Amino acid sequence: SQGKWKNKKRVLIFSSRGINFRTRHLMQDLRTLMPHSKADTKMDRKDQLFVINEVCEIKNCNKCIFFEAKKKQDLYMWLSNTPQGPSAKFLVQNVHTLAELKMTGNCLRGSRPLLSFDPIFDKEPHYALLKELFIQIFGTPQYHPKSQPFVDHVFTFTVTDERIWFRNYQIIEEDASLVEIGPRFVLNLIKIFQGSFGGPTLYENPHYQSPNMHRRLIRLSVAAKFREKHHVKEVQKMKKKGSKVLVKEDPTEVVFETPAEEKPVEIQLVKPESKPIVKDKKKLRKIQRKKQKKLFKTEA
Amino acid sequence: QNGLKQCLAEFRQQLAWVERLDVTLGPVVDPVSQSASDTDAVDPENDFQREMSFYRQAQAAVLEALPRLRKLQVPTRRPDDYFAEMAKSDQQMQKIRQKLKSKQEAMERSEKAKQLRAMRKYGKKVQTEILQRRQKEKKNMLNAVKKYQKGLSDKLDFLDDEQTSSQGNKKGSASQRTKKGPNAKRRYKNQKFGFGGKKKGSKWNTKESFNDVSSFQAKVAHNKGPGKTRKGGKKALNKRPGKRARQKMKNRAH
Repeated sequence: SQGKWKNKKRVLIFSSRGINFRTRHLMQDLRTLMPHSKADTKMDRKDQLFVINEVCEIKNCNKCIFFEAKKKQDLYMWLSNTPQGPSAKFLVQNVHTLAELKMTGNCLRGSRPLLSFDPIFDKEPHYALLKELFIQIFGTPQYHPKSQPFVDHVFTFTVTDERIWFRNYQIIEEDASLVEIGPRFVLNLIKIFQGSFGGPTLYENPHYQSPNMHRRLIRLSVAAKFREKHHVKEVQKMKKKGSKVLVKEDPTEVVFETPAEEKPVEIQLVKPESKPIVKDKKKLRKIQRKKQKKLFKTEA
Repeated sequence: QNGLKQCLAEFRQQLAWVERLDVTLGPVVDPVSQSASDTDAVDPENDFQREMSFYRQAQAAVLEALPRLRKLQVPTRRPDDYFAEMAKSDQQMQKIRQKLKSKQEAMERSEKAKQLRAMRKYGKKVQTEILQRRQKEKKNMLNAVKKYQKGLSDKLDFLDDEQTSSQGNKKGSASQRTKKGPNAKRRYKNQKFGFGGKKKGSKWNTKESFNDVSSFQAKVAHNKGPGKTRKGGKKALNKRPGKRARQKMKNRAH
């Protein structure tokens, strides 16, 4: 820290309300990794986004990272250069924090990072703009009072599958053996604006699909499957019933029909003789019949 | 839109590299990986491949940046006596170390168990072999003793050669024994009916055995030979003369 700190940039890192623990930890991790950052309280969602510009000015910061959580599920991140500069909104996925036990590396608190970019960042203009934004926000200025003079970790930004993957590695040896330290997340670019938290849209990512849309599509596909099955069942039912084929009346069928002879109607006035009751000696009494039935049942 | 973007790209700050510390490079070409042709088509679904590509990109950046930093006299290695606060607390690092250790121990334990099982199997095999060998030796010994008892081999070498090396055995009675080998009858049967031990129908006639007249002895068949049924045949040839003949011989001799 010998030397004059000339590049005076400060980054304000804060979030809106309704974030879950993972986001909170991610925010804290970024604050520890970036000594040129400042923290602020949670912002109420009622306020508009351009209020953030004023907050930044109050805190004397010229850049900002703002985390916005919606529906307690989706996390959006805004990166912006506060007075006039461009800003970008991202959807954050696959967040892993510093505290995960699989991240075995460690680095000095406040040491300056090396920033490594994919060559794809130079090919497209919007990627070039994003690269510049990342460099300005994530790079610690030299001779910052809270920074350590050593360079012992590396941030990598890679573009794969239309998304930007962020990783943080610790440099162990001079021959570039690395261990992963830090948080990791995936950024899905939504839009780039000309102004800070507002202004005309410079770029819109055509590959971006909002998480709502994504969930809706999943639900639709499930519903579609169900509807298909239902439809198929209905068709089968119809087939089974079959359309009743009307057969024309065949006149030759009736030829052999002869109506029955009419019998004279006899009215009985006298009660007929009752039959003599003959007791069937072979027929067992009721109780014994029941017993037999039971035995028969058990045998069976 | 493009124009706007470029405008803003220029709006960005132009700082010395040492301030920015950024490197834009593709990943290091891994000699172990499949080919250089499909390094561009990193399948994002394949986690390992993806992470390895990130790792290699970081490596490339480090390999390029460290010499530059050294030239600019920015220190990159922390001296051993430089103690400062780390991004992760010591407690956290302890937890991590514990976890790693436990994983390693679990692996070692499973390895040991596997090895033990393998050794036990091998040990059992060796044990059975030893037992069989001992039984064989015992059998041989008994056979040798029986042979000696039956008078087949008159050497007691097998008792001595128990301790000495097998060479002694081979030189001594063993070779003699093996020369005589099985019984004559046995040898005949072996020759007639071949190897493979006792067969069930070995005494039955076959076509060849029926047509085989080599064991025909005319004298025996026609009962013309000297005959087996003779009491003391040898002695009969030199039969002792009678009393009279003997006296005659005695008088003649005097």
